Amino acid sequence: MGEEALSPSESLHCTVEVVSWVTKFIGGPGAGRKEIEEPFVPGETVRDVLQRFSGRYPELDAALWDASKKELGEHIEVMVNDAVLGLSHTLDTPLRVNDRITLLGQYMGG
Amino acid sequence: MSPTALASTKAAPRTRTETLPGGYAGKLLRVNLTTGKIWTQPWTPEEMRLYVGGVGLGAKILYDEVGPRVNWDHPDNRLILATGPLAGLPVWGTGGLTVVTRGAMTNGATSTQANGFFGACLKFSGYDAIVIQGRAPRWVYLYINDDVVEMRDARHLVAKDTWECQDVLSAEHGLAGHQMSVYSIGPAGENLVRFAAIQGDYGHVASKNGCGAVMGKKRLKAVCIVRGTRAVAAADPRGVIQAADDIAHDLKTDPSARSLYEWGTLPALVGLYKMGVLPIKNYTTNLAPPNVNMADWEGPKLREGFDHRGHQCSACGMHHCHMQVIRKGPHKGELVDEPEYEGWAGAGWAIGCTDKEAIAWLNTRIDRACVDVNEFGWVCGWVMEGMEKGFFTKAQLGFELRWGDAEGANRLLEMISHRKGFGDLLAEGMKVAAEKLGGAAREAAIYTLKGASPRGHDHRARWDEMLDTCTASTGTLESGIPVHVTEVGLPPRINPFNGEEVARQVAGILGRRHFEDSLGACIFTTRTRLENMCRALSAATGWNYTVTESVSFGRRTAAILRAFNLRCGIGPEVEYPSKRYGSIPTDGPAKGQAVGEQWEKMLDTWYGLVGYDRKTGKPKPETLKKLGLDWLLKDLWGKKR
Repeated sequence: MGEEALSPSESLHCTVEVVSWVTKFIGGPGAGRKEIEEPFVPGETVRDVLQRFSGRYPELDAALWDASKKELGEHIEVMVNDAVLGLSHTLDTPLRVNDRITLLGQYMGG
Repeated sequence: MSPTALASTKAAPRTRTETLPGGYAGKLLRVNLTTGKIWTQPWTPEEMRLYVGGVGLGAKILYDEVGPRVNWDHPDNRLILATGPLAGLPVWGTGGLTVVTRGAMTNGATSTQANGFFGACLKFSGYDAIVIQGRAPRWVYLYINDDVVEMRDARHLVAKDTWECQDVLSAEHGLAGHQMSVYSIGPAGENLVRFAAIQGDYGHVASKNGCGAVMGKKRLKAVCIVRGTRAVAAADPRGVIQAADDIAHDLKTDPSARSLYEWGTLPALVGLYKMGVLPIKNYTTNLAPPNVNMADWEGPKLREGFDHRGHQCSACGMHHCHMQVIRKGPHKGELVDEPEYEGWAGAGWAIGCTDKEAIAWLNTRIDRACVDVNEFGWVCGWVMEGMEKGFFTKAQLGFELRWGDAEGANRLLEMISHRKGFGDLLAEGMKVAAEKLGGAAREAAIYTLKGASPRGHDHRARWDEMLDTCTASTGTLESGIPVHVTEVGLPPRINPFNGEEVARQVAGILGRRHFEDSLGACIFTTRTRLENMCRALSAATGWNYTVTESVSFGRRTAAILRAFNLRCGIGPEVEYPSKRYGSIPTDGPAKGQAVGEQWEKMLDTWYGLVGYDRKTGKPKPETLKKLGLDWLLKDLWGKKR
């Protein structure tokens, strides 16, 4: 899918958790959640991992990013370790082992 | 029974422009309950362009006809039931009803919506809105069947709940389903419970700001509209169909809206929990009990636990509204309407109840007694917390009420709806009850200082809605929910705990919601781009209606409602959350986030961006002029500028 291979010796792992209806964008049922282990190398950021991850899923890629593909769009919430972006992490914060990135559907309704 | 009255049309010809825009019936139905007079009033195409319908039209009538001394319970208060130019057309969810009045919770302006078939039936009978004034000498219901409009004896309907009321009227008229729309009040409205609502078509509720109490004070039990025989003509029928198709496509495929299309508001349970926004046990925690698996609260799980079928509104293709049968427990076999997110929150999590069957049952009891499920959740959760902590007693209430006790909550609902015992005080709503009791009770109460009820969220993790609820002139949210914010030049996302960013977003989206609520369309089917809604409106009416005009229109409506509230004495001094509402979460995703520390700065930013004066709350003269509201200058600023 065009991603760069990382050798096991140099790769660390974080978790990308895809929740509820966002699972539809990665071939899921639109319910439940999927957890995918994602490798990263030291210094890689939330943005790096998300771009590589979403690059494997065109529907997710279209929903997650804005037209420039550099910034998040308005459809999916991103949390890191259960906190919204802007608190402990931004898109440009380097990841650490066992960090958990959650993709959550933006709330629209009442 | 009152004499049959054929709605008489005043002979006054339309002025200036003779051609009626498509989508409009062209008449307002006027009813004076005191005198029994019923008449129609034409409105001009120019007025239609300026005020559109729904809350836009209602705001102007309210401002013009309800003076500052006409409190919510005064006979001269107006109860305006309005739809809009898309109602009755084949655009999804266009049976919409907007209720505008001076409401019982804030004693200020109200804009609250419901759907079903009311708006379409009203339009098919030849009316764009009903404006009700006066007070009937005895209980009546309003019957509308094209030109036949009658105030009919409703004494046999008194004390019936809203579903029973619709059952009786359907049987009496031999009309059911989509042939007749009935909106009524329950016992709560009859007994002037301050947070009484108006419910219709089995499960649709105009719930905010005590509009049901206003209807009760007028001794109007129900409004019953036979699906009329008038055609609703669109200026460009092909264009309406094209816009409707695009809206439907957007709702089915847009990354945000498609969850609404498939599951309605159910997915919000898990999503908002993850964000710390699901209100749990009167804001005392943001963590689910250990025995609750949140995966069981996802949309499909919530739906599959019941036997259910679709219960769509007029012209709607969403898989949103459902009726369902309870499969197990003490209420096995009962028919209920599937709770919205707000029902799961208000009749469930806010009162510590996680028994799905019990919540679904209680939610429908609330709709049938007919109070706002949000306010009921705050009141009931508050009483439960009070009994746990000792600031309420069994002797006070008459029975033990513990967290999660749905049967007990229903008993409390009965007490409130009939103003029995302690229920009489609770019927005054959270703010009045808390401020009367004071002490620990007051500290634990969730309300805005205006008296408006927050929605079923923990807004301590959703500052945008807290700011919106506190500054709104509608008795509920005025700007939110944010939808496609980039369309109006805002950033796609914000840090929800950055007050500056939050205030910029709330101010930036002001106007869109009033536009939506003026079309006769549902809040959920307008989760599309403004451009699409403007295309639908343009095709319906023949206008060239732009996104810029829609936002300007919405802001004009907001300014009129604000001017109305200021005239009623409701100003910036009450734009604050109560102590508990604005408190700091002690656990969960928003732990430690302190909205109070940024509140004044948020207000400063919001006021600056919407063009209102921070000190007085008034829309500034330049704002009024920009919005074409020069006629408000003298009222607000005392002299012509």
